[in-house]
Amino acid sequence: MEQEVITAIRLVPLEHYVILSLLLFSIGIAGVVFRRNTIIILMCLELMFNSVNLLLTAFSAYHSDPRAQVFVFFIMLVAAAEVTVGLAILVMMKRNVDSVDVNQLNRLKW
Amino acid sequence: MVTADLLFSLVPALPLVGAVLIASARRYLSGTVAGMLATALMVGAFVLTAVAFSTFDPSTGGHTVRVFDWIQITGMDIPFAFRYDALALTMMLLVTGVGSLIHLYSIGYMHNDARASTFFAQLNLFSFAMLLLVMGSNLLITFIGWEGVGLCSYLLIGFWYNVPDYNYAARKAFVMNRIGDVGMVLAMVLLFQQFGTLEYSVILEQADGFSANAPILIAATLMLFVGATGKSAQIPLFTWLPDAMAGPTPVSALIHAATMVTAGIYLVVRCSGLFELVPLTQDVILVIGTATALLAASIGLFQNDIKKVLAYSTVSQLGYMFAALGMGAYSAAMFHVIMHAFFKALLFLGAGSVIHALGGEQDIRKMGGLKGSIKITYVTFLIGTCAIAGLPLLSGFFSKDLILAFAYQRSPVVYAVLVFGALLTTFYMFRLLFLVFFGSYRGKAHPHESPLSMTVPLMVLAALSVVGGVINLPHLFGGHEALKHFLATASSGISNETLHLSVTTEWILMGSTVLLVTSTIAYAYGRFARKAELDGEPETMPLFKRLLAERWRIDPLYAALFERPFGWMSTKLHTVGESRIMIPLTNGVGGAALRIGRVVRRVQTGNASFHLLAMVVGIIAFLFITLLST
Amino acid sequence: MIVAILLLIPFLAATFMVVATPTRQARVVALASTLMTLVFTGWLCFAYQGDPVIAVDSDWVPAWGLRLVMGYDGIGLLMILLTALVFPFIIGAGFGERLQHPSLVNALLLYTQAFLLGVFTAQNALLFYIFYELALLPVFFLLLYWGGERRRGITVRFFMYTLLGGLSLLFGILYCMVQEGGFNGDFSALAALDLPLDTQIWLFWVLFLAFAIKLPIFPFHGWQPDTYSMAPVQGTMVLAAVMLKMGLYGILRLVFPIVPEGAAYWQNTVIILSLIGAIYGGVIAFRQWDLKRLIAYSSLSHVGLLCAGLFAWNGYAVTGSLYQAFAHAIMVVGLLYLTGALRERVGSTEMGAMGGLKARTPRLAALFLLVMVNAIALPFTQGFIGEWLMFAGIWQLNGWMAFGAVTTIVLGAIYMLYAYQRVMLGEDKWQLEMDDATLRDHLVLVPLIAVTFILGVYPAPILNLINGPVQQLITAIPMLP
Repeated sequence: MEQEVITAIRLVPLEHYVILSLLLFSIGIAGVVFRRNTIIILMCLELMFNSVNLLLTAFSAYHSDPRAQVFVFFIMLVAAAEVTVGLAILVMMKRNVDSVDVNQLNRLKW
Repeated sequence: MVTADLLFSLVPALPLVGAVLIASARRYLSGTVAGMLATALMVGAFVLTAVAFSTFDPSTGGHTVRVFDWIQITGMDIPFAFRYDALALTMMLLVTGVGSLIHLYSIGYMHNDARASTFFAQLNLFSFAMLLLVMGSNLLITFIGWEGVGLCSYLLIGFWYNVPDYNYAARKAFVMNRIGDVGMVLAMVLLFQQFGTLEYSVILEQADGFSANAPILIAATLMLFVGATGKSAQIPLFTWLPDAMAGPTPVSALIHAATMVTAGIYLVVRCSGLFELVPLTQDVILVIGTATALLAASIGLFQNDIKKVLAYSTVSQLGYMFAALGMGAYSAAMFHVIMHAFFKALLFLGAGSVIHALGGEQDIRKMGGLKGSIKITYVTFLIGTCAIAGLPLLSGFFSKDLILAFAYQRSPVVYAVLVFGALLTTFYMFRLLFLVFFGSYRGKAHPHESPLSMTVPLMVLAALSVVGGVINLPHLFGGHEALKHFLATASSGISNETLHLSVTTEWILMGSTVLLVTSTIAYAYGRFARKAELDGEPETMPLFKRLLAERWRIDPLYAALFERPFGWMSTKLHTVGESRIMIPLTNGVGGAALRIGRVVRRVQTGNASFHLLAMVVGIIAFLFITLLST
Repeated sequence: MIVAILLLIPFLAATFMVVATPTRQARVVALASTLMTLVFTGWLCFAYQGDPVIAVDSDWVPAWGLRLVMGYDGIGLLMILLTALVFPFIIGAGFGERLQHPSLVNALLLYTQAFLLGVFTAQNALLFYIFYELALLPVFFLLLYWGGERRRGITVRFFMYTLLGGLSLLFGILYCMVQEGGFNGDFSALAALDLPLDTQIWLFWVLFLAFAIKLPIFPFHGWQPDTYSMAPVQGTMVLAAVMLKMGLYGILRLVFPIVPEGAAYWQNTVIILSLIGAIYGGVIAFRQWDLKRLIAYSSLSHVGLLCAGLFAWNGYAVTGSLYQAFAHAIMVVGLLYLTGALRERVGSTEMGAMGGLKARTPRLAALFLLVMVNAIALPFTQGFIGEWLMFAGIWQLNGWMAFGAVTTIVLGAIYMLYAYQRVMLGEDKWQLEMDDATLRDHLVLVPLIAVTFILGVYPAPILNLINGPVQQLITAIPMLP
């Protein structure tokens, strides 16, 4: 069973995985930097996490090294925690300033 | 310690005890009680001094009485010690003797003053300091007294502290003295470096090893003399003394005539061994002394304040003493110091009695005809005036003639100047006498004779002014110059001095002086006793006379040269130097930190998306740098 | 152990004050603590045999080779005595000040005292530095929360400026510790360093800057007038009476032993700067209108003389400088106390608001006069002994410098008497109702004046204390011309 999955993964060349994650990561960065909606920013963060996860699993399969997959679980865990906090902030933000626009958050200065 | 030494060392302790006691209990003591206590202690000091004097054997030359170690560190040993010798004893007798009389006089003079007990505390403190001055066995002890009398002088000039002018006069006196003290301190550090000690005896002994006019000695003696000019009111530091008359009259008598102002002369006599070695300094002293004698006498001619006349007369007489010192006639100077103490104290106390009688009036234009109403004062004042003018056989006659004889031996120019000065002295003193006591009364008060406590000192001093000369009676009159021989045991300068004029010359000099003086008196009598020629305001006078009446305008000159520039400098240094340069400079350091922060904090906009962008750009830049550097 | 007790008395008292915050008893507790310190110090002085005492010597940071060494010699003991003697009066001055939160004020003062005692007992450069900066902290808060007008700006500037000097000192100390190899920083180890001349020449300023600012000598004094006049009276007392001596002590402990050739190289420069400051301060003081600013400038003038005396580096001048440091502390506390007492009565420290007060307060005027007599160094006061020794010492070096130094006696007389006149003499123009000197005024001022006169007439106790160590220092570090 495991071997089949690995073989299936190996059907696609490694370069494709790399290019795909790169694209996903860039989309994530672009979203974080240029979008103003906080929900979208959080989603883009997730996108970046997942692009990294994808890369890690791909390399894991190609190198037959399970250690990378441990990291994937770690990242998923951290991402879940982060989203919890992020969404909580989002809810508070919606309540307080009645908007989800990040540019509303401009009071973090001297 | 031997009993005599112990008694000797106790002399200054008495007035000190008095000062502390009266000062701390001044609120519970009435002026009269305080005065009696102070006087009793002074008399006690006088008695002790007399005992010390009577047990003293001049042939031993004197010795040092070490009381305790004062400043003692490696390489410096300055003991608190007294010099038990003829010079110290002479000065002590003078200070305690005349001092006692003036203390006694003050009881009557100050009895109406609410702060009389403070006055007596300060007067006693002064006596203490003056005694230290003359008793010290090293320069630093003398300097304690030197500064101490300066402080007391400051306090007593400004005794009536609610008058701004008096406070100014007090400050002026202290500051001018301090300028002289700069010289004194420098002389002390120089002598200390050179000799490793400040003991007079050691310094004078070792100084013999130096050649005449050695640069070190020139510097030391000149600086000592600067100190002396401050304390003894010589050119250029003399303007404080006339202003010092702001103090109560007994103060003027004790401090500014009889004792403190002679400290400079005492110092030079004490160090005569040094001065002997430096003819240059002696010449400087002679010139300054002669010039002061003449200048002050000329100012005295047309003053209208009874105390100011006496003050300028004091400056002038001090000039005579310094001229004598400059000629190496130390015994003559000391002789004149003592005689001057007698008759000048008498004159000041007499003036005080007049002022007391007239309820505070000091302007001689508002006096006149007082010889009928205050007889004792008149007679004693007359004696004092004759003594200062040098009428034959009175005290001033002997001492002044001795100085003039030395001057004749030195140079005819000096002699002429000093004789001229003596005539001026006679003129202004008799002008004063005639305007105050002769003619008719021009004021409105009701003159009354002073109480006994004031007239007794007057009479004693008058007696001393008459017969005082016997202590140094010259051979010409059958004496044998007792004072000179006594002092010579303590001062090498005195034992070296010689007067080699023929008897005929001396008689001629004496006769001509007496002739000139008597004719001056006659002239003054014509101008002031018969018709009382009064001066108006200086503005109405002819130019030269006006210049004299305005005291050669030296005070405004000094104000323009020193006081105002100093104030200007102080203000400018503050407004420009400090406020514009120094403080901004310092604030710049603290300010720079604040300013940098103010610029840098602008990066922290608080906009979340900007922060995100910055973060991403930062990470990318960081990655690039790592990539490029590998 | 002895030193630990010395430091712990004020430290524990201060901590107690912070924790328990007594209000009414705060000053009394503080006073009791300082008196205990004083008694203890007195015992130390009597027990002192003339040899340096090392009281604490234990590991500190073994990994670096740092050791905790504390102790004292005669000079250190003089400074400890000065601190212990002055603080009861500083606390006593607080009885009339009525500041808010007395427990905190007194706690801060006691912390300062503890750290100052630490400075004077530290035998390790790093420890010295730590105490040196720690001592400033309580004063910073005292100034920041209890100061007068414009206190924030002035305090921050003062703090920044002195910190700058402190950082420079830290750099210098660390540099020396690295050079020394063992990195233990004991004074004895640093003194054994033999740095090359060109290093010493720049290192001198790195080390000296902190002390030059702290003293301060011209031209580093810019922080002083504003800080003095703004600070609460007690703060100014701490700054002027003790903090300033820390600079003097630091020069003696860190500058001369570590960079003797550098000090010799800069000797004339520093003396001339100090004397310029002495004269400059004296001239400016004449036209000051505020008593506290006048004291600031007179302090500049006095300190210039102290620093010049120290750098003359011979037995007379250094002894004189230390003696005068003691005298200055006593004198400045007295003057500042009087300033406070006058403000209580008049409501201001400006001399324009005074004048003729002697008519109302004759006893206060007499006390003022007696304190002033020390300030202008009349004989038979402490000030005179110190000045005489310094003049004699500076003269050994250079006659003109001595002349410059001696002129300050005239300047001192000019500004002090003028101030006295403007405050006390003249007509009673304001006709204010006020009390004469109270029992409290007498309790503070009379002992100070008594110390002044006793040590002026009989200076032997102090001179004996410092003569030996000073001579050792001078012979150990000969200053080549």
